[in-house]
Amino acid sequence: MIETLVRGLGNGSVYALLALGFVIIYKATRVISFAQPAFMIAGAVAVSYLAELTGFYLAVLCAALLVAGIALVIERIAIRPMVGRPVFVIAIISLGIDVVVRVVANGFIGTDVRQVGDPWGFSLVTVAGVAVQQRWIAMFLTAAVLVGLLFLFFRHTRYGLAMRAAAYDQETALAQGVSVGMVFALSWGLAGGLAAIAGTFVGTGQGVDQLTWIIALKALPAIIVGGLDSLGGAVLGGLAIGVVESLAQSYQGEVAPWLGQNFAVVTPYAVMLVVLLVRPYGLFGTPEVERV
Amino acid sequence: MNRYIAIGAVAVLLLTSCGVVRGNEEEATGGPVTAGVTREPCPKAVDQAKGCIYLGTVSDLTAGPFAAQAVPITKAQSVFWARVNQAGGVGGKYEVDVDTYVRDNKYNPETHRQVYNEIKDKVLGLAQTLGSPTTAAILDDLKANSIVAAPASWTSAWEFEDVILESGAPYCIEAMNAVDYAVETYQPKAIMAVYYPGDYGADAAAGAKIAAEKNGVAFKAVETPSGATAQGGAITAITKEKPDVVIVTTGPADLAAIVGQSAAAGFKGRFIGTGPTWNVALAQSPAGPALTALYEQSAPGKPWGSDTPGHKAMRDALGAVTPNDGYTSGWAWSYPMKAALEKMVAGGDISRAGLLAAVKSLTTVDYEGMLPPEAGNYSGDPNSAVFRQTLINKVDQAAPTGVTTSKDFYTGPTAQAYTLDGPCFTKL
Repeated sequence: MIETLVRGLGNGSVYALLALGFVIIYKATRVISFAQPAFMIAGAVAVSYLAELTGFYLAVLCAALLVAGIALVIERIAIRPMVGRPVFVIAIISLGIDVVVRVVANGFIGTDVRQVGDPWGFSLVTVAGVAVQQRWIAMFLTAAVLVGLLFLFFRHTRYGLAMRAAAYDQETALAQGVSVGMVFALSWGLAGGLAAIAGTFVGTGQGVDQLTWIIALKALPAIIVGGLDSLGGAVLGGLAIGVVESLAQSYQGEVAPWLGQNFAVVTPYAVMLVVLLVRPYGLFGTPEVERV
Repeated sequence: MNRYIAIGAVAVLLLTSCGVVRGNEEEATGGPVTAGVTREPCPKAVDQAKGCIYLGTVSDLTAGPFAAQAVPITKAQSVFWARVNQAGGVGGKYEVDVDTYVRDNKYNPETHRQVYNEIKDKVLGLAQTLGSPTTAAILDDLKANSIVAAPASWTSAWEFEDVILESGAPYCIEAMNAVDYAVETYQPKAIMAVYYPGDYGADAAAGAKIAAEKNGVAFKAVETPSGATAQGGAITAITKEKPDVVIVTTGPADLAAIVGQSAAAGFKGRFIGTGPTWNVALAQSPAGPALTALYEQSAPGKPWGSDTPGHKAMRDALGAVTPNDGYTSGWAWSYPMKAALEKMVAGGDISRAGLLAAVKSLTTVDYEGMLPPEAGNYSGDPNSAVFRQTLINKVDQAAPTGVTTSKDFYTGPTAQAYTLDGPCFTKL
C-alpha cells in the first residue's frame, strides 16, 4: 500500500506541475492552452541532450529556461496577435502549436528511446520498512519545492502581483499600469518551464520516446477536479489523480474485477465526472468561471 | 509545284497532329499503361528508356505513435527500390518509384483512408500501408480494386486477405514459438502475457495462450495500456503472481518500465518480448542490467547486423545511418513486391489484376537470406501458406541494434501443429 501511495504521489507530482501550467495560462489569458504536452516533451528531450554535457541537475535547469524561452517566443508570435479574439480560436491555435513543437521534438528524439540521465534509475529506498523507488520521492519533493516557490512568487514579487491583478480584472490592471502583454508572456514562460521539469521526471527510469507526450493529457482531469482557476486546486487535483490511478492499478483487479482490465486508465476521468456532478466548478474553482 | 509541296506538308502535319497518321502503337512513349504505370520514365529514372511503376506509401511519418519505426521503414523501401532500379529495374522494362506518392496517416484510420483515396488512382499498389486499424479502413477498397499492398504490421488477420502481401510470421505464431522455446529452456510452471489492447498485443497474447495450454502450463493474460505512468498494474500483477515467464507485447519504453521496475521489486522470472518491444537505446538505460539478465526478444526476422547478402546490401545501400531494425523490416518486406512485379511484367498483364494474379502464384521469394524463401508463399490457403518460423535474439551491447540471434529460425511444436482457421486475436 505504501509503495502504491508513493508511486501515486510521484506520478501525481508530474500531473500537478503540468496542471499548474494549464491553470497559470488560464488565469492570465482565460484560455486553456493545449500546447503543454509539447513543452513537456521538449523539456525531456532537451535534458536528454544537455545531461551528456552538463550533468543531470544543470541540464534540468537549462532545459526549463530553454523551454520557457521557446514558450515566450511562441506566445509573442502566435498568441499575442490573437488577443481579443474568441478564446476558442486561441485554444485551437494552441493545439496547432502542440503538433508543431512535438513534431520538431520528435525529430530530436529520433527512432530510439532517449534517456534523461537521471541519477535515480529504478533504485530503491526504504520508507517505513517498504522499498519504494527513489525517483518517486524525488518527483514529489521537487514538485513541493517548485509549488512553494511559485506561491512565494505570486504573493511577494511585483510580477506575481501583476499576474494576480491581471487575472482578477485585465482592464483595471491595464488602467493601473500593469503590462498585460507581459503577464501573458510570463504565464506562457512559467507554464513552459514547469512542463519541461514534468517531462524530465516522466523520462526518469524508462526514458522518453515519441509516445511519452500522451501522459500530459492526464493533467486535464486534474485541473477540472481542482478547479480551472485555482493553483492550489491544480496541485491537489494532480496528486489526487496520481494516487487514485495508482490505487486502481494495484487493487482494482482484486476489488472490482468486473470493471475489466485497465480501468485505471479511465479513473482520472471517472474522478473528474464525479467531481463535476458534485461541484461543477471543481473542488477549489470559482463558480463564475466561464468554461472554454 | 512548290505550292503543292507546301500544301502536302501542311496536310501531313495536320493529320499527324490529329492522330490520323500514326507510327507503331508499341513505339509510342507517352500515356499510362494502366493505373500507376506509365511509359514515361520515373522522376528519378536511372534509364530514361524504361517506363515507371508507381507504388504508394501510407505510413505514420510525423505525429502518430509509430513514427519512430515508420520513418526508417519508409527510408529503407526507398533505397531498396533505388537499388532495384540501378540493377536494371523490373523485367528490364520498368523502374519503380516509391517516393512520389508517400502520404502521412498520423496513425488515424480516417486520415489513412483520406490520403489513400488521394493517391489510389495514381499507383499500381502500395509498397507500405502501416498499421492494422488503419489498413482495415481501406481493406474493402483494396479488395474491390485488386490493389496489392504490403502491410507494416504482422497480425494474423492478413493471412486471410489475398491483396495483403505480408512477410514473416504473424505475432500469434511468434508468441507460440516464444512459449515453446521458454518451455524447452526454462521449464516454466506459469506464464503471463502482458500486452497492449488491439490486434498487435492481442494477437501475440492469443498465441501465448494457445501454446501455454498445449504445453499444460498455467496462463494469465494482463492487458496494459501505453504510457510510462500506466504500467503500475502490469508490474503489480507480475510481482504478485510471480510467473516464471512473461511474454511482453508493448513498445520499448513500456518494456523498460515493466522489466526495470519488476526486477527492482525482486522479480527474477524471464521476459520474452515480441519484435517491436526492443530498441537499441534500452541496453544503455537504467533498465539495461535487468534487460540483459532477464529479457530475450522473439522476432520474425534477423536483426540489422546479421551476415546475409540481403542485410549486407541493405547496410551498403543505406550508408551512414543509425542502425535500426525498422530499416531491416522495410527492406525485407519489399522482396515479395519485387518478385510479384517481376512475375507480372514477365507474364505481360501489366495491371492490378495482373499483379494480384502474380502474387497469388508466388510459392517462394528470394529474400537474399533475410528470410527463408518459403516465407514468400502466397499461393495456398492461409493455413498452408502461413510462415511458422521465428527466432530468438539476446541482448548484446556490442551489436549495432543491441541484439544478436541466439536461436535461428525455428518452428515450435505448437505452431507446427496449429491450424490457422481465423485471426488469432479473436481467440484470446
